[in-house]
Amino acid sequence: MLRTYEGIRFFSDKQMVILDIGSAYTKFGYAGEPTPRGIIRTEIKCPDTKKLRRIYDYKDTEDLYQLLVEFLHALFFKHVVISPKDARIVILESLLVPTQFRDTLAKVLFRHFEIGSLMLLSTHLATISTLGVNSALVLDIGYKEATLIPIYEGEPILKAWQALPLGGQVVHELVKCFIFNWCFINSYFFNRYLMKSLREIYPNVDITEKLVEDIKVRTCFVTTLERSAKLGTADAPKPPPAIKYPGVKSINIPGEIREEAFEVLWERDNDNLSIPTMILNAIIQCPIDTRRTLAENILLIGGTAMAKGFASRLKSELLTLVKSSHYSEKLKIQTFMFHTAPSKPNYTAWLGGAIFGSVDLPLRCLTKENYLKSDRVPDWVSLIDNQRDESTVCET
Amino acid sequence: MSYLNQPDYVCYVCNCGSLKPISKIYFCRHCSKIRCGYCVCQEVDSHYCPNCMENLPSSEVRLKKNKCSNCFKCPCCFQTLSTRAGHVPLRVVPADGEDSKDVKTTPKKVYYLSCSLCRWTSRDAGIPDQSMATGGWPEQENPHTSRINTLIDYHKILASIEKQQSERKKFRPKHPYMQIAMFRITSAMVRKHIGHPAKPTNESTDQPSPAVASTEVEELPTDIFTKPVEITKITTLEQRLQQPDVQTENVNELRPQHRQLLVRRSQRCRVCEHNLCKPDFCSQSAKFKIQLAAFYHVPEVRIVTCEPLRPGKSSELLLKFCNPTQHQTQVVLLPLDTPMTPILTLVDEKEEVKQDNAQQGSESPNLLPSIVRQVPVVEETKPIKITANADVVLPQNCLILPRRDDAAEYDDTGDTHNFQDDPKFVIWRKGNKAVIKLHVTPHENIEENNNQPVVIGFVMQYRYVNTITTLEHKAPQKLDLKVKLYLTIGNIVGSA
Amino acid sequence: MEPQDVYYSKAEYVETASGNKVSRHTVLCGSQNIVLHGKVIVQSDAIIRGDLANVRTGRYCIISKNAIIRPPFKKFSRGVAFFPLTMGDHVFVGERAVINAAIVGSYIYIGKDAVIGRRCVLKDCCYIEDGAVVPPETVIPSFTRFAGNPAKCVEDLPECTLDLMLEFTKNYYQHFLPLSA
Repeated sequence: MLRTYEGIRFFSDKQMVILDIGSAYTKFGYAGEPTPRGIIRTEIKCPDTKKLRRIYDYKDTEDLYQLLVEFLHALFFKHVVISPKDARIVILESLLVPTQFRDTLAKVLFRHFEIGSLMLLSTHLATISTLGVNSALVLDIGYKEATLIPIYEGEPILKAWQALPLGGQVVHELVKCFIFNWCFINSYFFNRYLMKSLREIYPNVDITEKLVEDIKVRTCFVTTLERSAKLGTADAPKPPPAIKYPGVKSINIPGEIREEAFEVLWERDNDNLSIPTMILNAIIQCPIDTRRTLAENILLIGGTAMAKGFASRLKSELLTLVKSSHYSEKLKIQTFMFHTAPSKPNYTAWLGGAIFGSVDLPLRCLTKENYLKSDRVPDWVSLIDNQRDESTVCET
Repeated sequence: MSYLNQPDYVCYVCNCGSLKPISKIYFCRHCSKIRCGYCVCQEVDSHYCPNCMENLPSSEVRLKKNKCSNCFKCPCCFQTLSTRAGHVPLRVVPADGEDSKDVKTTPKKVYYLSCSLCRWTSRDAGIPDQSMATGGWPEQENPHTSRINTLIDYHKILASIEKQQSERKKFRPKHPYMQIAMFRITSAMVRKHIGHPAKPTNESTDQPSPAVASTEVEELPTDIFTKPVEITKITTLEQRLQQPDVQTENVNELRPQHRQLLVRRSQRCRVCEHNLCKPDFCSQSAKFKIQLAAFYHVPEVRIVTCEPLRPGKSSELLLKFCNPTQHQTQVVLLPLDTPMTPILTLVDEKEEVKQDNAQQGSESPNLLPSIVRQVPVVEETKPIKITANADVVLPQNCLILPRRDDAAEYDDTGDTHNFQDDPKFVIWRKGNKAVIKLHVTPHENIEENNNQPVVIGFVMQYRYVNTITTLEHKAPQKLDLKVKLYLTIGNIVGSA
Repeated sequence: MEPQDVYYSKAEYVETASGNKVSRHTVLCGSQNIVLHGKVIVQSDAIIRGDLANVRTGRYCIISKNAIIRPPFKKFSRGVAFFPLTMGDHVFVGERAVINAAIVGSYIYIGKDAVIGRRCVLKDCCYIEDGAVVPPETVIPSFTRFAGNPAKCVEDLPECTLDLMLEFTKNYYQHFLPLSA
């Protein structure tokens, strides 16, 4: 034990690298800095096919291993610019990350890049260190999914976790659907007007994934609850102005797309779940004396939470929902309060890691020696790592 | 050259299982083995600015956050900005009623930044012109820096408390997996995991004021439903992410960013920890201090021509071999299933010492003393994904390639070498190069239209003279090394 | 793959004492300002604008058909000035490429239809892919491969690029043979 500790001391003058490998964008930088050094797409050119591939679209473990080797190589030498050998790295991960991904990532870092030590931090837990509070309800709306874990007095209330496949990706797919197949989506969605799809109007325009993302980010917004209720009815409000997109051949983005793309996040699915119900359901599952604190300490993180009007819509949805028959019996909460982290929501989790990684905590790190000895990453779901040991007994 | 702009037709199999063209592999003289970019340890050697080519020591790089202090990139199109000079008369705004002719206009040289690609200028963004050509541009500062620093300080105090506690615990018997147990996300350990004191009562005095939540959230601007939007005034996601702390939506608020530095890498063999490649310190130079690329040590094989391939029919294949070393070599082609153990021949003893393949790595006499070295971390070798689908008739005789002689180019007397070559096998020879003829028969089961390329494979055994002298071996060693090669020779034309 | 022989008609090309092979169908403006340092091939319909400023090339440069080499200019408050263009050894310029650079180093490959903007600096051992458009005043560092419009670094080049280019240009020169007819 003592030796490992000294081993870390030996190279502790090296800066900690903080990586938050999201499903769409990777945030990277050094511990103790207020802003990430950069935010890049989580994708890499496949060395065989020369095509860009997303890391999370891996086929199997071996494929993931190769993708991660290529991606991290580019990350270390082009972006973070550090020799990965013996580097100290903090990775932010969701508590719900697949074991396959976690283990492969650790294997790549230790076996291929020979990093010195690795600290795996939970996204939701690390995030609250940006606030200086002990309790918060952290809702992470990323690209692939929205995950929620309430944290009370520094402890995650795991039984109340929530996750839904709602995030930037569904909005992205919907925008794409609007563009390619306007008629279909409307009949499915609201069953109203028949319009030509953009594809038909502009057959020559190359509609790439990048363009779809661009349309989503630059033109779409989350509309208000009142307007949303009226959408699709007879007295539908006048859509916002259309946007003319320049290019070799300019295209017109109708106001309907701008207003309705984000509606998918608020639609109830077959289980009657959506983003606002995630918050309420989580609060209900928490012990009764923690509920008020949690409802008054909501923190939104993740890139999708940056959509215009997202927070205000969420607030009004919550206030309406608590009055509904389903929740008014179980939940006596009337106010919801939101935190603002000293950062933009898309890198708040990274910032949490950067604050937490700036302190010297050699005991929290998994060192190269220990990894090579045990050949596994400790995991909170594994019983081997959850045995009672004396140190815990002494403290409690 | 063909390695730069053509697909990889001839691939060498590295010891890690990767298939690479000769331009991308290294030859470790100390282990006498082939290495590639995948199985070497890559390190950052030096930092330089891609625009002004200034080299920076790593301490300064850290201080400047890996950015060049003089060069900027355009916030719109990310190209390098150039400094322009303009003679702008310093106009003093005349006060009301005053005759504007009386006001002196003093011509003064001012500087602004401009992008030669998208025509963005610092004047568009409302950044005041500078009176100096270099620097002085306003720096962007994260508005939350001080708050974040307070939080960091607070967490540092918590960490020191935790460290004290763990020091105290050291005297108690411990669970062997104690360190791993720290990762548990349950109970009291979690408190530490996120950096809270073990005892909630133990309130630290330096605790920063906690963030205050508010019922007010940013509302959707009401004019969004009516105001027409000019898309060119809205930044793209790419532009926003260049400035993560601001992520402005308005194009006019974009600010020029410092150019990020690039690195030159050096490669180190993971087994013996010797450098395989180390660039010159000067970023301008294309030379290397250490250069052990396989291109300079291992015979190069190239495809000259290949007759049209038909399944089951024999075709002629011409291969060119080139010896890049300063010593004569002999090349023997062996079938793919040959064991890959190298044969060591000492010059003075003329005796072949067979070495065990598994021991080769660690037993090689050229390694650094074991105290200096760390235990090499082994990575599993990759399986070879390519399979040969054609038979090749390999010649029995060996091909002798003379040493490379740069002066021979200017020598018109012609080849002085006199080799007893089999004319059926060696069809051309000049200097250190020779062309040989092989016969290839693609397998019957390859069909013409499924675009499956014909691949042949063989093991090339070559004589390598290792000139590095070690304590044990004063004389240069002669080694017979083997490397597996896979050649993509073309597509099937027509059926049999 | 091994390079193939390229034949030219003897009547079309002039071979100088230093081994330069220059097509008669080229436009060499201000030829007194053009220095070709030996074993340089200038193919038909290439344009070298020596009338604007000095153009110097090193040894073993290949300037393909329809390429344009044109010294860069810089605007000043009182008009425009042209700057000399220097090119190192072992440079390949592809067909229809337009070069406006200030300095082209050695061991450089410039692909077909590439456009090198004015006052660019190309460091030794770099590779400009076919059709790339390098914006004005860009510096291309050594051992990088640039592609696209605007050209961006897409890849690093292998360490032995120097010798690969050296061999390529020498081979090209050796395989550029007069048509024996």
